Amino acid sequence: MNPAVHFRRLPSAIRVPVLVVVLMVIISAVISERVLDQLSKTQATYLQGLASAYLDGLVASVTPSVLREDSWEIFDSIERLRPTTDDILPSETVVTDRNDIVLASSNPRTRETLRPLDAAFSGKFAGPGVSIDPETRSGYVRRAIIYQNMHVGSIYAVFDVTSLLKERRRILATLLATNSLVTALLGFVGFMTVRRMIRPMQVLETHLVEAAGGSATLIGEQEFPSADGEAASVYRAYNALVNSETERQKLSRQLAEEEKLASLGRLASGMAHEINNPLGGLMNAVDTLRRHGENRNVREKSIELIQRGLLGIREVVEAALATYRPDRLSRPVEGSDFSDLKLLVRPELRRRQQALDFRMPGELPARPEWPAGPIRQAVLNLLLNAVAASPEGGRIGYTITVTDRHLQITVTDEGEGMPEAARRILEQGTSADPAEGEGLGLWIVREIANDLDARVRVSAGARRGTEVQLTLPCRTNEVSHAA
Amino acid sequence: MSAAFERGTNGDLSRRSLLGLAGGMACALAADRAHAQPGTIRFGLTPVFLTNDLELLDAFRAYLESETGYQVELITRRTYQEVTALLVSGQLDAAWICGYPFVRYRNELELVAVPQWHGKPLYQSYLIVSEEREASSLADLQDDIHAFSDPDSNSGYLVTRALLFEKGLNPDYFFRRTIYTYGHRNVIRAVASGLAQSGSVDGYVWEVMRDIEPELVAGTRPLRKSEWLGFPPVATNKSLAGSDRIAALSGALLTIPEKEQGRRVLEMLKLTGFTSSGPEIFDGIASKVAMLRGVL
Repeated sequence: MNPAVHFRRLPSAIRVPVLVVVLMVIISAVISERVLDQLSKTQATYLQGLASAYLDGLVASVTPSVLREDSWEIFDSIERLRPTTDDILPSETVVTDRNDIVLASSNPRTRETLRPLDAAFSGKFAGPGVSIDPETRSGYVRRAIIYQNMHVGSIYAVFDVTSLLKERRRILATLLATNSLVTALLGFVGFMTVRRMIRPMQVLETHLVEAAGGSATLIGEQEFPSADGEAASVYRAYNALVNSETERQKLSRQLAEEEKLASLGRLASGMAHEINNPLGGLMNAVDTLRRHGENRNVREKSIELIQRGLLGIREVVEAALATYRPDRLSRPVEGSDFSDLKLLVRPELRRRQQALDFRMPGELPARPEWPAGPIRQAVLNLLLNAVAASPEGGRIGYTITVTDRHLQITVTDEGEGMPEAARRILEQGTSADPAEGEGLGLWIVREIANDLDARVRVSAGARRGTEVQLTLPCRTNEVSHAA
Repeated sequence: MSAAFERGTNGDLSRRSLLGLAGGMACALAADRAHAQPGTIRFGLTPVFLTNDLELLDAFRAYLESETGYQVELITRRTYQEVTALLVSGQLDAAWICGYPFVRYRNELELVAVPQWHGKPLYQSYLIVSEEREASSLADLQDDIHAFSDPDSNSGYLVTRALLFEKGLNPDYFFRRTIYTYGHRNVIRAVASGLAQSGSVDGYVWEVMRDIEPELVAGTRPLRKSEWLGFPPVATNKSLAGSDRIAALSGALLTIPEKEQGRRVLEMLKLTGFTSSGPEIFDGIASKVAMLRGVL
């Protein structure tokens, strides 16, 4: 992988100190290079000065002896003029004639008198100034001996520059040590600073991850930084968000509950109406019995009327019980569950003078089994929604289709079309909250669909209005859980 | 010989002859006083001798002054030739010279006293080589750079010159190069350092320096020692031989072992005394000079 990409993926707490260190290393290298370069120049100048002073004295002293090729006098001069107090001393001095024949040297045993100068040795004397060879720790300098504008000989001087090189090494070591220390310190400070800077982010991240997992928690007081204004305000904003979210969820639940109660209330009044209708007949029948009970014909007819009326009441009560006490309905759904629901919406239908077209071609298979309670609840909500959406005198479509793979419940209305928000609630699931009580019923449908792994599809109706299709897959093994 | 003077003019910076400088100054002062003060003995010293010891020179002068009753000027020069010339020309009352110039100027000079080394007025010339060198005879020294002490020195030149002559050799061809160092100590330095591969040196100086500067002398060893020859004498110009000053000087030298101050001087010189030997002790040197007559 590209190292730059690699690097970018490192956490800031590593990246920033690494950048600081790299920068410091570059700066150190540049500074060290400059210092050493300057030091080299200073040392070269110093050495040049020393060498010049030495060579000047030696040239003045030996020139007549060189002219006479007086080896002894030259040797004596070299010995006498050898400085002893400087920290840089000539380690070897050789005086030659114009043909580079050694006239005398400080060490005649290695540079034999009156022999040609070793070419390897003279080769080290390059250039007009002092040339330093770090390997031999020596500085090499040559001076021509000029007499009456004639080149009469040369002086080769080798200086022991160990002390200069030592100084160079010492300064390099000092630079390295200082720079390393400063670099390490800055790296550490960088690391600490960045860590300190990003700690609030990490806290926030932890809480956000928790929130994404569904359990948002407030950032505790003890986690608040003592002085960091920015982080504190971010924390406060986050906490405010969590608070308002919690509030909203609570409100949503409350609204859902209220809506449930409201629809229950509507149903209850509908049911009361349903019960009240036969009650009038029942009361008449009872009255008839009281007055003409001895008449066998009348009596039997009245009892039949009473029985029919009571049966109708029982149907309504059972349907209501089946829907609103789903815990009693953990049994599998049956065909009658769907026809039952007609009874529950009948009061509303009647109120709005609407008609319900119930079609259920075929029978429900024995398997798979779907839980009756949630399905009844969901379908009732869809029906009530359709009733509310359709104009007075409209028709509500209610079709149950069974195939090998699924159970499909289709509810159509003749309304103006489902609002986008309601449609999103139905199709996209729980992440979209019910808005201000609108479409709470639909939200409950969506919840139930999620539990049952069902698919909800909303489309425009065949002629007008809206068609909502709830499709439950055949998954026998999950029925008990879903229930 | 002009070369020698030339050397004298630009070689006097020698560390060893601070002494030379001192001598020169003494000489300059002496030149002012010599005639103004007839009670002064002008005594010349050659580099034959351990002239690089100012303490020795002070002690020697002090002794001579106290014994003779004269003021004594010690006058040193870089070469034998300069001192000999001063003596022969009468500018010095006496001088400690070498046997070779004494023989050469026998007609102009008279002996005052001859030093005794180990009780005898004799010494040897040494042919020295560096300590580690495997030479065993003169023949091994062919093509050497050879260090002589002084062209007017017996031990530092004449003896080796005569030896080569006896073998039919010429030092200018036998040796690759000969150099003059103008001092026996310098010969030892030249050989010890390797500047020269061999040298001719005063045996007395070599032996004495073995005690004084053992580390320098240890770098050399004698390859050949000559026969015993007359020790460098104290001589005077013949014209002054009968003077009171010379008589006083002679007396002071001959009685030197009897005096406390004198014994201190002898101790420094590593000598045992002075004797009034006749010129015959220089016959050995004289025969070499005779042998080389016409060659030198």
